[in-house]
Parts: sequence; structure tokens; C-alpha cells
Amino acid sequence: MSAGTQVHANLTEEQVREISDGLDEPDWLLETRLEALAALEDLEMPDVIRTPGRDWTNLHELDFESLVDPLNAAENKDQVGPEDAEVLPWSEAVADHEDLLQEHFGSIVDPQENYLTALSTALFSTGTVIYVPEGVDAEDVTVRTEQNSRSLFNYTLVITEESSSVTILERQSTGEEAAEQYYSGVVEVAAGENSYVQYGSLQNLSEDAYNFTVKRGVADTYATIDWIEGNLGTQLTKTEVSTTLSGDSSETQIVGAFYGHNDQHFDLDAKVWHRAEHTTADLVTRGITDDVARSVYEGVQDVGADAWDTSSYQRENTLMLSDESEADASPKLIINNHDTEASHSATVGQIDAEDLFYMTSRGVDPRSARNMLVEGFFVPVLEEIDVDELRDDLEELIGTRLRERE
Amino acid sequence: MARLELSNLHAEVAEGDEQILEGVDLEVQSGEIHALMGPNGSGKSTTAKVIAGHPAYEVTEGEVLLHLEDDEFGEDIEIDEDQRTWNLLDLEPNERAALGIFLGFQYPAEIEGVTMTNFLRTALNAKIEEREELFEDEEDEAEEEDDGFESSPMEGPADEGEVGVAEFQGILQEKMEQLDMDEKFAQRYLNAGFSGGEKKQNEVLQAAILEPSVAVLDEIDSGLDIDRLQDVSSGINALRDEQGTGILQITHYQRILDYVEPDHVHVMLDGQIAKSGGPELAEKLEDKGYDWVREDVYGTA
Repeated sequence: MSAGTQVHANLTEEQVREISDGLDEPDWLLETRLEALAALEDLEMPDVIRTPGRDWTNLHELDFESLVDPLNAAENKDQVGPEDAEVLPWSEAVADHEDLLQEHFGSIVDPQENYLTALSTALFSTGTVIYVPEGVDAEDVTVRTEQNSRSLFNYTLVITEESSSVTILERQSTGEEAAEQYYSGVVEVAAGENSYVQYGSLQNLSEDAYNFTVKRGVADTYATIDWIEGNLGTQLTKTEVSTTLSGDSSETQIVGAFYGHNDQHFDLDAKVWHRAEHTTADLVTRGITDDVARSVYEGVQDVGADAWDTSSYQRENTLMLSDESEADASPKLIINNHDTEASHSATVGQIDAEDLFYMTSRGVDPRSARNMLVEGFFVPVLEEIDVDELRDDLEELIGTRLRERE
Repeated sequence: MARLELSNLHAEVAEGDEQILEGVDLEVQSGEIHALMGPNGSGKSTTAKVIAGHPAYEVTEGEVLLHLEDDEFGEDIEIDEDQRTWNLLDLEPNERAALGIFLGFQYPAEIEGVTMTNFLRTALNAKIEEREELFEDEEDEAEEEDDGFESSPMEGPADEGEVGVAEFQGILQEKMEQLDMDEKFAQRYLNAGFSGGEKKQNEVLQAAILEPSVAVLDEIDSGLDIDRLQDVSSGINALRDEQGTGILQITHYQRILDYVEPDHVHVMLDGQIAKSGGPELAEKLEDKGYDWVREDVYGTA
């Protein structure tokens, strides 16, 4: 059975047309949506790590028929940025920059890549376009999305022209609590020559929510794309952050932090595709699993045959605070060019008993000692975050969650 | 004044039945320096860890008692008659620390992301708070019995009496200067990337700040060059001379005892104190090794 059959029971072309009409979209965009809708029937769920007899994340059990309610999307959104950069709600971007959209929309994340990207493409009703013209340094772009409906499909496009830079903070949270919600987000970043993008994201949706997100960037010559990926909310998150280093001397850093407790499940991918010469990547993820939470991490560094003089590093460390939590990691290094310096590692462990004893022997009570160790564990990741608000909020959320723990 | 008393202490590895301590008797008093020497595997480090409450060891017999006198905590706390002696084996490691036990580690943990300043201030405040709780708990219980209070009506806010950031900076700076430590250590992560000597110096710094009644220093001299050995030694002497700390100095070698002159030297063999004496015992050990002690005590080499 293809995954698409169940959703077609309550999804129609008319709904897609109504969303597109409401945003005053041109025909080519409507066609892209309709094609994605039509493709649903034949598309598979996104890849998850699979070992014989077991998918590490089971997306097939999601009941899309009840989760997806395309015509009743509701949200509170903040989309702000400095004057010299354009930070546009989707409908304004459609009106003002159709050429940009036509050039970039779907060019980085294929709308029909899998069932969930197609669903998102067909149904997205909200979005942001961040356009940074040549030579502009745009700091403090903020996109806050508060979900107030059963489902919400969000699309973000970032375009930086030559020698520009932008620092973006994206936050997702839940407003009015609904029993179960579905949030889907697609982010495409096109980083022009010698431009810099830091895209920080803090997902703090309700713990009853499901979340599918794909964030992908392409870096041109001398361009840098840095991602910060903070995940705290939802009962199930499936997310991918990846960069294609398509220009010579381009760079990327993917920094992830997550904290799962109760029965949360995080499936996190960090991937880099080295496709040009002298490219550099650094992938660092740190996370916590507590109670019966589970994390699944897949990291890929793929060095293409033409990617001479590549430097690529990957580290993933998960700390388990309970005996019942679970953490699986699968770091992969695929090298097709011998002129490569690369390393990858993943560790899963519990708080070191000797570290804990050291601290308690100095008078610190075990609970405070554990909290200090956990907060300290995240510091190398927090130190990479340029945006103060993101760093402070992430730190505070981690601290709050720790202190709530018995 | 405080006195640490180990009496017929037997201990084994918690997971397994390997007996390591076979009846240790030892007393360390405030202001005294004791050297505990012995070959590898004789139980020196285990003794240190058991005193501090390391969870990897289980005490199967004996006692570890801490006797406190009125002047121990200054004028802040008056020690009731029934609170003058504590069985440390009933207490958690942090409670033992609060009562004035300090363990200087042979291999201090490297704690990423926690700055020295933050950790030490937290430790100092935790110690103050825990100490108050240990002594107040008893008072509360007494009041409960007397007046039927469920909790002490005198209990103040949690942060009352805490050492603030600015005050602590002053204390830290002063102690670091005394130990000839670079100021930059204060903002570095706890022991992370420290050389062996820096770690040991940091252990002495922590003892200087926490002002223990008894400091058990486990091979604090290992991995030190001669300059650093002198720095660390003067730090240890200052603990004794200025704070009246009792020192239990575990070491393999005579050389630190040239700088930290012990009042008593003990030789540990097979989980017991086999011989005790004055500083001359350490010199004899340096010259002749441990076999003669074995022969002397057990009649066999």
C-alpha cells in the first residue's frame, strides 16, 4: 500500500486551488502544487534508518486523515527584519518577486522528493521569503510562527545575493493547545557567491504535536551556510538539515541541540554534500534523552569525486539521563575523492559517575551536579550560536526542563 | 578542631566481592599532616574514596567518624553535644563535604562547559547551605518534638547567606594569587585541557576555597615538575597553617614530604596500616622500599 492512499480520502484539488487562490498565486505555482498532490499516491515516506525488521522511526502510523485540515490553518506570525533586507510574507513575495520564486522555489527541495514534501508543497498556506540584496549585511531577521490550528504547512525561502549576509532566527511554537497537531516546514536557502547565512531554528511545539521539517541549502563559491537546529517540542519530530557545497571554498556548519523527555521521539538528519573544491563542513550535534524518550540521528558527509581538498568533520553525542531512554546514531562518511581530511564520531552514554562524584565530593548536591553537567554538555553547541536570543532561549528551555525533572 | 577517625574499616568493591580494606585504623586531627604511603594496590586510594563516599565501594565493617569541636565552623554555628560526632558512612558525599571533608583527586574529572568560577562558587554556597541544613535539621526535629512544628518557622530564604558573584571573585583572586595561579584559569572549564600539574594546583585551590577540616590528598604530587611541586606544597602547608586543616597526604614518594613535612607517616600494606611512625619512616621507605616493613610486620618479605 502506498502511503498516499489514506490522505486522499479528505484531500482534494479544490482545496489546493482555494489555498493558491487565497494567496493570489500564478498558474505555474498552482500547477506545482497540483502535481505534488497528484503524486502523493505514488510517493513513499522519507527515508528512515532501517535495520532488518525495524524502521527506527515509524512514520506510517501517523494518521494524516485526521491530522491534516488544510483549509483551517491558523497562526500568529512575526516576520521582521532590517530595512535593507526584504522579509516578506508569502502573499507579498508572490506579488513582488514572482521571478525570484520561479527561479528558486522547489529548486533545492524537490516538491516530490517524498510523500511529506509533496504534502507540504500542495498544502502550504503560509511562508516567508527573505531576500538579501548584494552587499547588504542583514542581522536579526526573525520569523516566529505560533500554530493555532490542527495542521500548519509553512514554507521559507532565503536568497542571499553576492557578498551579503543574514542572521535568521526561526521559532515554532504552539498557541492554542490542540490535542494533536501536525506542523510541516520546508526551508530552502540559496546562498549566493561570498554570502553568509546563519539560520537558527528553535522548535518548541506542543508535546502532542508531530513535526516534519526539511531545511536545505546550496552554497555558492566562497559562501557559508551555518545552521543551528534546536529541538525541544513535539511527540515526534522528523527533521533533516543539509547543505550542498556546490561552489569552490564554500563552507557549512550544522549545529544541533535536542532534549527529549517523556515519550518524545526525535529523528534528526544532518547531511553535507561536498560537490566543489576546498569545501569545509563541521557537523556537531548534542542531545539529551530522558524518561522513555528516543533519538535517532543520521549524519552523512558525502565527498564527491570532484571535491578536491575537502575538510569534513562530524560529531554527535547523546547523553541519556534515564535507563529507559534510547539513543541511536548512524554517522556515515562517503568519500569519493582521496584529497580529503575527514572524521566522524558518535557517542551515546550516561552521565559519567566519576564526574558526578567529583562534583558531589566538593559539596554540590547530586541533582545540582547533574544539572551543571548537562548544561555544561550543551555549552560547546551554545557557543556556536551568533544570535543571542536563540542562545539564551535554548539555554533557558534546557535549564527549565532540567529543573522540572524530579 | 576536628578529628577524623577510621576504625576497623573494611571495604570492598561494590560490584563484586573483592575486599580491599581489611581493617584500617587511622586518626587525623585538625592541623596535623599525615602521610599515607604504600605500594600500588595496597588500598591507599580506596581509603581516600571511602572517606569521601565514592559509590564504587561498599563498607562491610568499621566506622568513619568525624568529631567536631565548637570552634569548627566559626561563630555561626554552635555544635550541640549530640552533633559533635558524625558517622560519615551514613552521609552522602556532598554532606561529608559540607561537614569539612575534602578529597583531592589523583585524576581530577574534566568537566566541560562548567567554568572554574561557576563551579567553585556553586560548591562553596552548596557547602554553606548543606551545613546549615545538617545542623538545622536536627534542630527542626527537636522543635517538632517540642512544639509540634512541621518545619522550622525560622527558616530563611534559600539564598540567604550565599556568597555573591563579586564577593566570590575577591576570594578566588586572593587564593589564586597565593597559589601563584594565572587568572585565566578562573574562566576556563573545570580541569578541561589542564596539564597534570595545573589540575593538581587546582585541587589545592579548591581546598583553599572550601576550607575543609580534613583534606585527603590522593597522590597530589604525581605528575608535578619541581617548580609546581613547590607551589602545590606551599598551598598544602598554607591549608594547615592558615586554616588549621588536617591533611592526609597519600603519596608514593618522599619528595613531596621534603616540602610538606608530615607529623605522622603510615605504611599501608594489603588493606591495613602496617606501620606508623614519624618523618624518619618515610625516609627509611625511600631508602629501603616496602619489603622490610612486610618482613618486620608479617615476618615475610
